Amino acid sequence: MKSGDSTTIEVAEPSSSSKGKATVLVAPKATGWKKGVAIIDFVLRLGAIVAALSAAATMGTSDESLPFFTQFFQFEASYDDMPTFQFFLIAMALVSGYLVLSLPFSIVAIVRPHASGLKLFLLIMDTVALTLATSAAAAAAAIVYLAHNGNSSSNWLAICNQFTDFCQKVSGAVVSAFVCVVVFIFLILLSALALRKH
Amino acid sequence: MKSVQVEASEVSKGSSSSQSLSRGLSVIDFILRTLASFGTLASAIAMGTTRQTLPFVTRFVRFKAVYKDLPTLTFFVIANSVVCGYLVISLPLSFFHVVKCKVTKSRIILIIFDTVMMALLTAGASSAAAIVNLAHNGNTNANWFAICRQFNSFCQRISGSLIGSFVAVVVFILLIIISAVVISRR
Repeated sequence: MKSGDSTTIEVAEPSSSSKGKATVLVAPKATGWKKGVAIIDFVLRLGAIVAALSAAATMGTSDESLPFFTQFFQFEASYDDMPTFQFFLIAMALVSGYLVLSLPFSIVAIVRPHASGLKLFLLIMDTVALTLATSAAAAAAAIVYLAHNGNSSSNWLAICNQFTDFCQKVSGAVVSAFVCVVVFIFLILLSALALRKH
Repeated sequence: MKSVQVEASEVSKGSSSSQSLSRGLSVIDFILRTLASFGTLASAIAMGTTRQTLPFVTRFVRFKAVYKDLPTLTFFVIANSVVCGYLVISLPLSFFHVVKCKVTKSRIILIIFDTVMMALLTAGASSAAAIVNLAHNGNTNANWFAICRQFNSFCQRISGSLIGSFVAVVVFILLIIISAVVISRR
């Protein structure tokens, strides 16, 4: 009796009353494909770690002190000044910590290509981490956009004109965080493709 | 022969219980999708209809506030509208999944689009939240004045419209998880 493409149930000789023996035959092509996907997943995770860590580090070291002072502005700027940037730093640190912790799980998924429970767990945690990373990156991007352009309706001045280095570093951190977000989307995509059972 | 037939019936009973679970999950998916579409629609409308005109003129702040004054809030309205439109379009596909539980290719397409739309919605909602936080508290270091002191009802409206969007983000996470579970069970 045959059920499905990759499972063969062999029934013992009709004279004996033993139960049928089920042997699982897996086509080598399916294993190779899944292993390739798992390896790409691992490499993408490494790339996401680099992006997330560089975003957090760039934001954390973005202090700038101007050599002069004016009437209106303070003469130093750091990520501490904006609660949004503090949230960005904490969130990207959490995301990079999660990615580092998920590396062993990814390695196990390479070694055992058919562990779908593990892949499902990784996908769920990746979704949560994607939300956190996107939220941090978008909130910081809104503040950076405001710092670059200002807003005439609410009389918010563009502070980038004074603090050019601070602005550049913070903008670079936001770009790096968005790269991490894109990598996360590809990770989820790959996990969804690899979850299929042929 | 009899053992073979017993085994065949056991296999089919196992698959039907998993199929009923898949069907239940697909129904939950459909319900959550309608919920998220209402949430994003409500957020887009609530943000898009903000308008407050103050009866007086001050030195620092203009006397009219519309969501278009802040480009981030414009992005919020656009993102919510796009996501609401996507959810409405994906409702027939989700209903098709309830009827026919065994398709995986269209579920994978759905999960890909769900992930992209969730990223877009989260970006819109959190950037608007950052601006709303700035409007409420201001920032003394950058000399950014808290405009909520003047525009009370505008501020309340933009703060409340964030709720529907964030609820839709949580719903999207659940949708992705449900789709992944159904794909892995098949």
